Amino acid sequence: MSRYYEFYCPVKVISGDAALEHLPYELTSIASTRPMIVTDQGVRAAGLLDPVITACEESNLVIAAIYDEVPADSSTTVVRDIANLYRQQECDALIAVGGGSSIDTAKAVNILVSEGGDDVAAYSGAGVLSRPLKPFFVIPTTAGTGSEVTSVAVIADRERSVKLPFTSSFLLPNAAIIDPRMTRTLPLHITAATAMDALTHATEAYTCLGKNPLSDAYATAAVKKISGALLKVMDNPDDGQGRLDLAEASTMAGIAFSNSMVGLVHALGHATGALCHLPHGLCMSIYLPFVLEYNLEQIREPLSDLLLYLEGPQVWATTPASRRPEATISAIRHLRDELHHRCELPRTLRETNKVTEDQLDQIAHKALDDGAIMFNPREASFKDVEAILKKAWG
Amino acid sequence: MLRKLSRSAALTARRRYVQTMFQVMGHALDAISRTDKKVLDEARLLPVGFVFEMTVLPAGPSLVVEHVGEGRLRYLGSSPPANVDLSIRFKHIAHAFLVLSFQEKTAEAFANDRMLVDGDIGLAVRMTRILNRLEAIILPRLVASRAVKEYPADLGLFEKVPGAINIYRRVATGMIRDLTKEVSPT
Ligand SMILES: [Fe+2]
Repeated sequence: MSRYYEFYCPVKVISGDAALEHLPYELTSIASTRPMIVTDQGVRAAGLLDPVITACEESNLVIAAIYDEVPADSSTTVVRDIANLYRQQECDALIAVGGGSSIDTAKAVNILVSEGGDDVAAYSGAGVLSRPLKPFFVIPTTAGTGSEVTSVAVIADRERSVKLPFTSSFLLPNAAIIDPRMTRTLPLHITAATAMDALTHATEAYTCLGKNPLSDAYATAAVKKISGALLKVMDNPDDGQGRLDLAEASTMAGIAFSNSMVGLVHALGHATGALCHLPHGLCMSIYLPFVLEYNLEQIREPLSDLLLYLEGPQVWATTPASRRPEATISAIRHLRDELHHRCELPRTLRETNKVTEDQLDQIAHKALDDGAIMFNPREASFKDVEAILKKAWG
Repeated sequence: MLRKLSRSAALTARRRYVQTMFQVMGHALDAISRTDKKVLDEARLLPVGFVFEMTVLPAGPSLVVEHVGEGRLRYLGSSPPANVDLSIRFKHIAHAFLVLSFQEKTAEAFANDRMLVDGDIGLAVRMTRILNRLEAIILPRLVASRAVKEYPADLGLFEKVPGAINIYRRVATGMIRDLTKEVSPT
C-alpha cells in the first residue's frame, strides 16, 4: 500500500461517565460565558438537552441561546437563521447536540459567525477558510456518523438545489463529549443502522487506498468495540457500557475514515440516499458485504486481519489463513442477519420497500460521480456497479 | 560546488519533464477524445465549455483542456483562461513528478494528499477516469498497470495498438507545432 500518509485529529475527546459535566469547565477555560446550543426537535423531545443544561447551570454557566429546529436535511437558510440568533444573543461559543445534521449545521453556522456575512455558500469548497473559528463543542446523540471528528460539512442550498460541501480542518470542534446518557434512548433500528455506518467507516478505512498505520489502529479498535457491543445493546438497550462502546467506536471510526477516506460502499450509499431517501446507515448495512465481495481479491490481507477484530482470536486462529477474508464477509453477513432478526433492519434493497428495481441504473450513474469511488481499491466501471446493485437488490 | 550544480540540473530536468508530460497529455487528451468511445462517453457528460486544469503549486507548469461539446476535449496549452471550472493542484513539483513518471497512481496521489481539488468532486472523479483511460491506452501495459488502479481487462491489443499509434501521431504533430511556435521569433 501507500508509502506516504498524513494524519490529523486535533479534537479533544471527553468520554465516559459524567462526561457532560466536563463541558462547563471546558467552556470557562476558554473564557466562554455565552454558549449557544444547536439541536433538533427529536433531541429536545427525548429530554437529552436537560442533562446538558443542568450540568452547565450547576456550574453557574448560562446557556445564552438554544436553536432546536434543525431539520433532518439542513439548509443554508437554517444556517443563516441560527447565525442571526447567535449574533442577536451575543453568544461566544457553539455546542451542537445531535446527529449528523445538527453537527453539520453548527459547523456551517460557525463559519458565518466567525467570518461574517449571511451567505455561507461563499465559503463552500476546500481550503477556503484560513483561520480558526469560534469555540465549538459537539455532543453526539447517535453513534455512527463520526461527524464530531471530521473536517467536512454538507449543507443543502435549496434555491440552487445543490448540496454544498465545506472542507476545512477549522471546522473541527475543540472537543467531542461522549456521554452514554446521550445514546441510551436511541431507538433500536437507529442504533443498528448507525452502528453499521460506523462499522463501514472502519472497514472502508482499513481496506481502501488511503489506509495508513494510524488510521488502521483506530479502525481495528472500532471494529472490535462494535462487534463486541452491538448485539448486547440490541438485546439490552440500557446496557450503559455497551452504549458507550458503540459511541466511542463511532468516534474512532470517524477519526480513521476522515484520515483515510472511504470507498465504494459510501459512493453507493450517497447515491441511494440522494435518490431514494434511504437513511445513510441503512444503505451502508445493505451494501457493505456486496462491495467487500467485489473488492475481495484486492483486499484479502486487510480483510483477513479484520476477522480477528470481528470474531476474536479463537475464530481467527481456527480459520485457515486462506479462508479468513471470506470468513470476515460471512461474519458481517451474520451480524446483518442478527440485526434483521432483532429490528428488521433490511439486508437487501428489495427489503427496504423504498427502492424500485428501475432506479438501479440511476443509482449506478450517480455512484460513479461520487468522490468516495476514487479511494476504492478497484476501479469500478458502470457494469461493475450495476452488477453489485443487482446482487444488493436481493 | 559541482554537487550543487548537478542537483540544480536534476531539479531543472524534473521540472522540464513535468512540463513536457503535461504537453504530451494535453495533446493526447485532445486526440483520444476524437477516437476512443469510452473517453467520449465519459467526457460527453461534462458541461460544454467546462475548463479543466492540472497544475503545480505555486506557479505551474500546468495543463489546460476544455470540453467543447459532444465529448471532444480541446488542449488549451499551459496558461489557464480566467475561468477554470475544475483545478487539480499538486502541492509540489516532486509530487507531480511521482504521478507523471508513473511511480504513484493518480488515485493514490489523491489518497496521499499530494494534491488539492478545487471544484466539483464528481467532475474530478470523471476527469481522473478519463486520464486513467488515456494512460491505459498510450502507455505500454507494464507501465500502465503501475499508473492506473486496474488495467482494463477489455483493452486488447487490437483496440490498443491502432488507438495508440493514432494518438502518438497526433501528439507528435501537436508537439512539433508547439516547438516551432516556441523557437520561431515573435
Ligand atoms: Fe458513513
